[in-house]
Amino acid sequence: MGCASSFPGKNVGRSGSLNGEQTVANDPKNIRVKLVLLGDSGVGKSCIVLRFVRGQFDPTSKVTVGASFLSQTIALQDSTTVKFEIWDTAGQERYAALAPLYYRGAAVAVVVYDITSPDSFLKAQYWVKELQKHGSPDIVMALVGNKADLHENRKVSAQDAMEYAEKNGMFFIETSAKTADNINQLFEGTGIYLYRNKTQLSWITCNNRPKCRSCICCYEVP
Amino acid sequence: MDSASDAPIKSLRPADREPNIAAGLQQVSATEARLSSVTLKDSSSRDGEDRVPSNGSLPADFYDAGEEIEAEDEEAPPSVAAAPEGSFEGDIAWRDGQGMDGEAPPSPSSSGYAGERGSSGDSSGIVEESDGSGGVSQVDWDKGKQRLHENMQDDASVSWRKRKKHFIILSHSGKPIYSRYGDEHKLAGFAATLQAIISFVENGRDRLKCVRAGKHQVVFLVKGPIYLVCICCTEEPYESLREQLELLYGQMLLILTKSIDRCFEKNPKFDMTPLLGGTEAVFSSLIHSFGWNPATFLHAYTCLPLAYSTRQAAGAILQDVADSGVLFAILMCKHKVISLVGAQKATLHPDDMLLLANFILSSESFRTSESFSPICLPRYNPMAFLYAYVQYLDVDTYLTLLSTNSDAFYHLKDCRIRIESVLVKSNVLNEVQRSIMEGGMHVEDLPVDSSLRSGSASNHLGMGRSEPVLVPQSGSGGPAGLWHFIYRSINLDQYVSSEFSSPLNNFSQHKRLYRAYQRLYASMHDQQTGPHKTQYKRDEDYVLFCWITQDFELYAAFDPLADKAQAIKTCNRVCQWVRDLENEIFLFGGSPFSW
Ligand SMILES: Nc1nc2c(ncn2[C@@H]2O[C@H](COP(=O)(O)OP(=O)(O)OP(=O)(O)O)[C@@H](O)[C@H]2O)c(=O)[nH]1
Ligand SMILES: [Mg+2]
Repeated sequence: MGCASSFPGKNVGRSGSLNGEQTVANDPKNIRVKLVLLGDSGVGKSCIVLRFVRGQFDPTSKVTVGASFLSQTIALQDSTTVKFEIWDTAGQERYAALAPLYYRGAAVAVVVYDITSPDSFLKAQYWVKELQKHGSPDIVMALVGNKADLHENRKVSAQDAMEYAEKNGMFFIETSAKTADNINQLFEGTGIYLYRNKTQLSWITCNNRPKCRSCICCYEVP
Repeated sequence: MDSASDAPIKSLRPADREPNIAAGLQQVSATEARLSSVTLKDSSSRDGEDRVPSNGSLPADFYDAGEEIEAEDEEAPPSVAAAPEGSFEGDIAWRDGQGMDGEAPPSPSSSGYAGERGSSGDSSGIVEESDGSGGVSQVDWDKGKQRLHENMQDDASVSWRKRKKHFIILSHSGKPIYSRYGDEHKLAGFAATLQAIISFVENGRDRLKCVRAGKHQVVFLVKGPIYLVCICCTEEPYESLREQLELLYGQMLLILTKSIDRCFEKNPKFDMTPLLGGTEAVFSSLIHSFGWNPATFLHAYTCLPLAYSTRQAAGAILQDVADSGVLFAILMCKHKVISLVGAQKATLHPDDMLLLANFILSSESFRTSESFSPICLPRYNPMAFLYAYVQYLDVDTYLTLLSTNSDAFYHLKDCRIRIESVLVKSNVLNEVQRSIMEGGMHVEDLPVDSSLRSGSASNHLGMGRSEPVLVPQSGSGGPAGLWHFIYRSINLDQYVSSEFSSPLNNFSQHKRLYRAYQRLYASMHDQQTGPHKTQYKRDEDYVLFCWITQDFELYAAFDPLADKAQAIKTCNRVCQWVRDLENEIFLFGGSPFSW
């Protein structure tokens, strides 16, 4: 597993001001977050969402049509709740032009690739560029290497992905929808992330690494 | 990436099936050889893909009009009566096997995909070899045919019979787009040949509709830059096969719209397959439905039987949301309509409903969660996408809300919440489940003489079956040997079909009956000899009866030993019965003209 990500509760205390456009509600204790998943077909976006929302993993593939909408609420340690409204988009090529429909106004974009597929990593980079060009400037981006359970077949190194994420100001994590590894951490991570003050969003440039331990980047990038 | 999501797709076409495409196409490959000997002499043209067959002269025997060759008719010969004709004068025939004696393999135009070179040999029976320049590739016809021949001779003849029907979609430059059996990419050479055949005729400002060879039919449909081909030995009428190709094309438009044509204008060699990624199940389920769903040839839809008030309750709430800017609100249970409502002036064509239902039912992901997806209704507007909100309300019942507005999701979601709560409150969903359990019209329940009955209670579906039913004719269907019927209301664009019962017990029997109805339909609607009013036909399987009036069409199947006068009487009773029950089996108000 490339990296674990855990977030201590103390970081959660500061209440963040969220962009009203991006999230539906602005109640500091009950946050609603619009989140969109993007990535090549078959990387496991739907499986990640279904693992997170329903705790299930169905190995039979059900190619997404257009986009699916799901929601899930999680409670952070200080009893703040974060309700994720998730757009699980279809990775099939014919839907690519439609993506803005779903990522427009999203507070979080989760860009997924499959660690056994270099092509899917390239596709992920395509999505990152697209979001940088056309997404909301405040959008929080996470880069997710899924199918971490298939590490014997790994073709994309965690190091490369991490470096790419860092360069692009993204939160990086490797997950497995199959084993549930890091799935909750992924969503909690983005939740905490959003919850924190906007000014903290430049965390990736934190100068105190690697000893800081008080901002997210320093927890999740060992 | 792809590998993972492709897994179930691959399982649809296990390797052992692939030789059969070759077997299935054997007859055609003879034409291929013949045709390529015509078209490919022009080897001065370097680019294999662009090469359109030169409008040179056909070999003398190509037009062998009228020479029906029955090369390998071990089975019953095709019904020649229904033999459709293309623009050619008479059927094109060729002697299968003629090309097998080692005639020099010409090089047909091939797509020249770098990735496919040499990969097709083992499975498709067509071996491509590249000379490395990426231009011309060579097809090893002899080897391919040998394998075909082997397949025909031994065990494969069993699977040959299983592969009676092929559907292939290709582009006008000969690029494969879809194939029912086998990997379309491995069919590059074959697709190129079909393209050559079609273009050859089109270039002569003619249109190739159908080619017959023995018991095989090859039916062509040209839709701008897209060519659709069906190759089969199922003895279905040309008109039916052509309509099936039309539906296949419609299904493709539903996914991509007709604006796909523009891609071909920009780049004639445009490769469409990536745009259809993940849709194999949609096409295979549609093709499967040609064998069991009468809607595919009746061009009508069918409703789930429900008490009038129940359907009204569903219709009222759908009407409510339609008034709030939803273009179409459709509540369906599997392939049957519970209720549907269109915004003012918007009417839904039964073919669009068929294609939409097929798309939703065959795309598993709709079952997991609420979805929002662009789709096109080809009869409504082939150029534009609509936005479909789809949500299953229970295992079988799903709601589809269509909007022209791509931002409509949250509005449609609200509509769904309202609709769902009304449906739950008014018990519609439970009634739907009950109706599924009870089924529709059973021929055994055909009232003895409905004119004698005035009580409305007995005129309800499912009533009377609570008591043991007196089954006439010793358990084989209804009175007078009635086995099955379909009643199609012309004004309503709807049909009702009786439930299958003994002796029509299994899928292949159902399919055979539908094929018989389909032939009946085609002959009744034949442009040249028809339309007809009645037809009575007896063969070893059934007595078939068809009756068409201004208001309805009735198709009925009886025991082959049934008495004609009795059968006709029974048909009258069926019509009366349907009219008695029309409030439960049909949807009124589905289209503004149906009142
Ligand atoms: N081994 C392993 N397989 C996975 C994992 N996640 C998903 N898969 C498999 O990958 C395939 C595709 O997963 P999906 O979730 O449907 O992929 P997707 O990204 O939603 O694909 P589209 O909807 O077409 O965009 C499925 O067959 C899953 O079984 C994982 O973590 N480990
Ligand atoms: Mg998916």
